[in-house]
Amino acid sequence: MTRLEARELTCAYNQHTVLHDLALIVQPGEILALLGPNGAGKTTLLRALARLLRPRTGTVLLAGANIWRLRPRAVARRLALAPQSEGVTSPLTVEQAVALGRAPHRGWLLPYTTHDYQAIEQVLTQTDLQALRHRLITELSGGEQRRVILARALAQQPQILLLDEPTAHLDLRYQTELLALIRRLAQHDGMAVVVTLHDLNHAALCATRVALLAHGTLIAMGHPEAVLTPDCLSQVYGVTVVVTPHPVYGTPLIAPVFASQQKQSNEGDKPSDGP
Amino acid sequence: MTHQTPHSTIGRRRVALIPMLIVLLALVIIASVAVGAVMLPLSRVMRALLQPTTPGVEATDAVIVWEIRFGRVLLAALIGAGLAVSGAALQGLFRNPLADPFVIGASSGAALGATLAIVTGVGPVSLAAFAGSLLAVAAAYSIAEIGGVVPATALLLAGAALNTFLSAIVSLVMLFNEQSTYAVLNWLLGGLSGRSWPQLRTSVPYMGVGLGVLWVLARPLDALAFGDETAQSLGLPLGWARIAIVAATSLTTAAAVAAGGTIGFVGLIAPHAARLLVGANHTCLIPASALLGALLLLLADDVARTVLAPLELPAGVLTAALGGPFFLYLLKTHQRILGARR
Repeated sequence: MTRLEARELTCAYNQHTVLHDLALIVQPGEILALLGPNGAGKTTLLRALARLLRPRTGTVLLAGANIWRLRPRAVARRLALAPQSEGVTSPLTVEQAVALGRAPHRGWLLPYTTHDYQAIEQVLTQTDLQALRHRLITELSGGEQRRVILARALAQQPQILLLDEPTAHLDLRYQTELLALIRRLAQHDGMAVVVTLHDLNHAALCATRVALLAHGTLIAMGHPEAVLTPDCLSQVYGVTVVVTPHPVYGTPLIAPVFASQQKQSNEGDKPSDGP
Repeated sequence: MTHQTPHSTIGRRRVALIPMLIVLLALVIIASVAVGAVMLPLSRVMRALLQPTTPGVEATDAVIVWEIRFGRVLLAALIGAGLAVSGAALQGLFRNPLADPFVIGASSGAALGATLAIVTGVGPVSLAAFAGSLLAVAAAYSIAEIGGVVPATALLLAGAALNTFLSAIVSLVMLFNEQSTYAVLNWLLGGLSGRSWPQLRTSVPYMGVGLGVLWVLARPLDALAFGDETAQSLGLPLGWARIAIVAATSLTTAAAVAAGGTIGFVGLIAPHAARLLVGANHTCLIPASALLGALLLLLADDVARTVLAPLELPAGVLTAALGGPFFLYLLKTHQRILGARR
């Protein structure tokens, strides 16, 4: 069983410390959503977990081994990252781009095998890219390119999947399908998923645990219902929110309230209370 | 999930073009042997090529075909292929459609080496060009390196600055040595006049190694197109891949420049034309670039040898004169596929 662990993780860009002494563990089958305002350090944390950013102090352990002691390819066979965006300069076809996800398994020099092509087929179907497989990635929409990035990460057949803002640029249908896919990957295939999200409702719908970050520190971590509370959220985001149960699932449903409108409604209440 | 030969599609749709290009190249090689100051009919070329010792073949045919033209034609094809593949690889490494084999200093280093050799009369010009080319790239690489990391943009900038600096020195040396100006200029323009088997023999090993390594690195080049972080997260040892690509391209380019001077434009446009034909997947792009680069330089050299025969034009002037308008046409009509527009 492969689990991912961060211990006393401190990360910095030059002199600017972005993550302070952070610890977390992700178990197989779990979906951990990283939440927090812009600049809270969510993407930095993902990069550190993905072995892209060397932490200033502390360690990231993949199945108990220091990730920086492992070879990059050995890490890529077990852990995949779908970045928020990437330079799409080369007009590869969707299929060719997704096939690159097989590189950690096949190596950089050997030709792909039938097993690789089977994995690619499966992923193209999972991400609904079969119809686009021969299109050039440079000609796709932003949302379609996001699905290609996800598909390439899935083609790595990882045990740990790191997703940076996977729902951004997707329409409602693909947002919903993506959240369902993430749940299926965790529950069915036992993948451990770490996902940064801006939409708190997406986190409430799919995460088994959420972590709330602000200014590079962990404010709260736990079950969505325990963390996604009006107090906690208004403290971190500085916005008033109302939390109600989801009409179908009963999970938290977060609705922001405008500061000015709240004032108005308070003022509107007063005269009716008066007489 | 499809169970019927799922691998029939990846990168194979337009791979059939590659054998066609090989056949075309063979035909153009034979035709190139036929044209020149003395035009030979194809039947005599074929006879001289295939059965040079049979009594039916005229002795002059065999000399023209074997001793003068065939070596030069093969050298033109090899240089064209080398420049085109280096260009394709550097465009991939830098994710920049403007990159060519000379962006990281190879041409200006070679030019300075050759100029100094011509002016001082010390040592063979081609060896000086080869050494100058490799030294310039090594200098650009070590300037861009900080703490074991060589960012692609830093390397590109170092190369650009070094090119300007070394070209200025070449100009200065030319200004102070007027009597050598013509010889230097002639070398700088690039061409194959008087080159044949000896140059071919010396460049084959370097180019063979360089081209082979670059083809082997096709998949890392595909991954690098998505950016360094993505390539790294796919498990690519970034530093090694980058150093291998830079070393192989500079070896290939240095050998090409040593044999034919700084022939411009082939390394820029052949990869773009190849991308339009077979797509951006480097496993196909590299051989297709090689074939198109070979064709392009062969045709340019054919024109260079014939339009003013018995005078010869520098082939490097023709590649730019013919390649420039063609490239502008491609840019006008295929911006998106060239990667010039998102």
